[in-house]
Amino acid sequence: MIRQFSASQTLAHLVLLIGAVVVLLPFYVMVATSFKSPSEIMTATGGAFGAQAPVVSRSCLARGGTDADCATLPVVENYREAFAKAPLWRYMLNGVAVTVSIFLLQVLVALPAAYALAKLRFWGRNAAFALVMFCLLIPVHAIALPLYVLLARLGLTDSYAALVLPWTVSAFGIFLMRQFFLTVPDDLVDAARMDGMGEFAIVWRVMLPAAIPALLAFAIFSVVAHWNDYFWPRVVITGNRDLFTPPLGLREFKGDLDGNFYGPMMATATVIVTPLVVAFLLAQRRFVDGIAMAGMK
Amino acid sequence: MSEPRPEIRQARAGYLLFLPALVLMIVLLILPVAIAAVLSASDYALGNPGFDWVGTDNYSQLLSRSAYRKMMVATLAYVLIVTPASVGLGLGAALLIRSLRVGQALYKTVYFLPVMASLLAMAIVWEFALHPTLGIVNRGLEALCGVDGLRAALSGSWAGLAPGATWFGRGCVQGFPLWLGDPDYAIWSISFIGIWQGFGFSMVLYLAGLSGIPPELYHAAEMDGVRSGWERFRLLTWPMLAPTTVFVVTVTTIRSFQVFDTVEALTDGGPVRSTYTILFAIYEKAIRQNLVGVGAALTVVFLAVVMAVSLIQRRLVERKVHA
Repeated sequence: MIRQFSASQTLAHLVLLIGAVVVLLPFYVMVATSFKSPSEIMTATGGAFGAQAPVVSRSCLARGGTDADCATLPVVENYREAFAKAPLWRYMLNGVAVTVSIFLLQVLVALPAAYALAKLRFWGRNAAFALVMFCLLIPVHAIALPLYVLLARLGLTDSYAALVLPWTVSAFGIFLMRQFFLTVPDDLVDAARMDGMGEFAIVWRVMLPAAIPALLAFAIFSVVAHWNDYFWPRVVITGNRDLFTPPLGLREFKGDLDGNFYGPMMATATVIVTPLVVAFLLAQRRFVDGIAMAGMK
Repeated sequence: MSEPRPEIRQARAGYLLFLPALVLMIVLLILPVAIAAVLSASDYALGNPGFDWVGTDNYSQLLSRSAYRKMMVATLAYVLIVTPASVGLGLGAALLIRSLRVGQALYKTVYFLPVMASLLAMAIVWEFALHPTLGIVNRGLEALCGVDGLRAALSGSWAGLAPGATWFGRGCVQGFPLWLGDPDYAIWSISFIGIWQGFGFSMVLYLAGLSGIPPELYHAAEMDGVRSGWERFRLLTWPMLAPTTVFVVTVTTIRSFQVFDTVEALTDGGPVRSTYTILFAIYEKAIRQNLVGVGAALTVVFLAVVMAVSLIQRRLVERKVHA
């Protein structure tokens, strides 16, 4: 009996391990390639992290250095190239600025609206909620074209505003927060009113602190979506490289099927994938619960 | 001094607090849908001084031109491959992980990693992995060809088949596919990346659904003589997961309809439009070629399909709740 049980456990582990290898394979390819020299990439040698035999840095040669001055480790060369070829710091900073602005604006709009829908009685409240539910049906990527036309008419393409504005209202955020506020006892709100707090003060000083868990779930959802988003920036940022977000910056590398490019390209990919992956590894429970909660409307 | 009554004060606050959201929803969501509907009846192009009404011309193009037929084929193929596979693998992984005594957290972490990672970045890595000569996939397959026993087993030559009779045997003889460059394989390769990226999301939702099933139900079923794991799954787990399944299927379907990153970065809709999916078609027509009218017609079709999927889901969930 016990033996049979372990057999099924072993089988489960075996299947899951094979799955895990397939899931991890591209992460391995990405990191391993970012460590290798061009010749190791072309010949698929060097093992996991390359032999790290010194290579001659091409950008250093271009600046007029001699072969001896320019010898460097492949891993150093790849990551240095990644940051030298494109203003990668700038792209990362853009990514952070855009992601954070989007989230803050979403909260600024969604929290009061959700509070009104959950705790305040006013004529038309049901219609207002129905409107939110209807907006939940509209996938924002699907209406990118009319939004783009609107922004173009306003002369707003190629701007931070274009990257942020369309996302300021999240029907999903309003819905999630409303569901959460319904579970907050009315007594809490009434007590705040007795203390003489106005409704605005209640939103920010009573409801906001109470809603931290739901906000965290929404934050994870929003940040993951917008840090990784490629479609919308691709549509509205047409030329100005100063506004590139990390995925757009990575896209720039594409096109050259040459071992000299794969190293820095994979280094760039590693750099833009790392922040979220590390955050996830540090706070997995939060992430998984957050996504499950945000997903399970 | 006429302090308004509390009800009125509350109502006034309600309007004020909801107002910003209302304005933004109208401007950013409702209005664009209306704009798309209007533009879809025009030959509007950005930068042109005016435009003409073309009635349903844009829509009849969608029905008559082979490019759009290919678009529908590619989009449906992607959705029909990715949705069942992601849902099935998500459910399978969740069930297997739940059955483990050790290591649950590890597999959960690993399978969820691709959901967190930028799809564009990972697409580029997959492109490299699938590269016909440099890539780890074809190099790995070729290495398997070099192992005599494996080659015999996988190519069927141990059973007397010709060396090129099976897919693997043919690959060993003639070389393995170009994956992203071959019209027969490109949509499968793109779909594979989509499944790889998305099934961890289904897994998490299924794990949440599984943890919501009360263990007493399993004890009760055991009392009633439900012994085998399969019976337990068929009679108990699967029906209890029905609401989760409806939700996971809808979300995955809608996400699949919106595939863009992999197509734009890896195949550009090709080869011969075998991966010409709808969101990419909208992008190509309207943004690259400035055929806004056509793109708007595509947008309207797209919205109609996705909203229909969501509404069907709501119906199904409501019926489940009332039944």
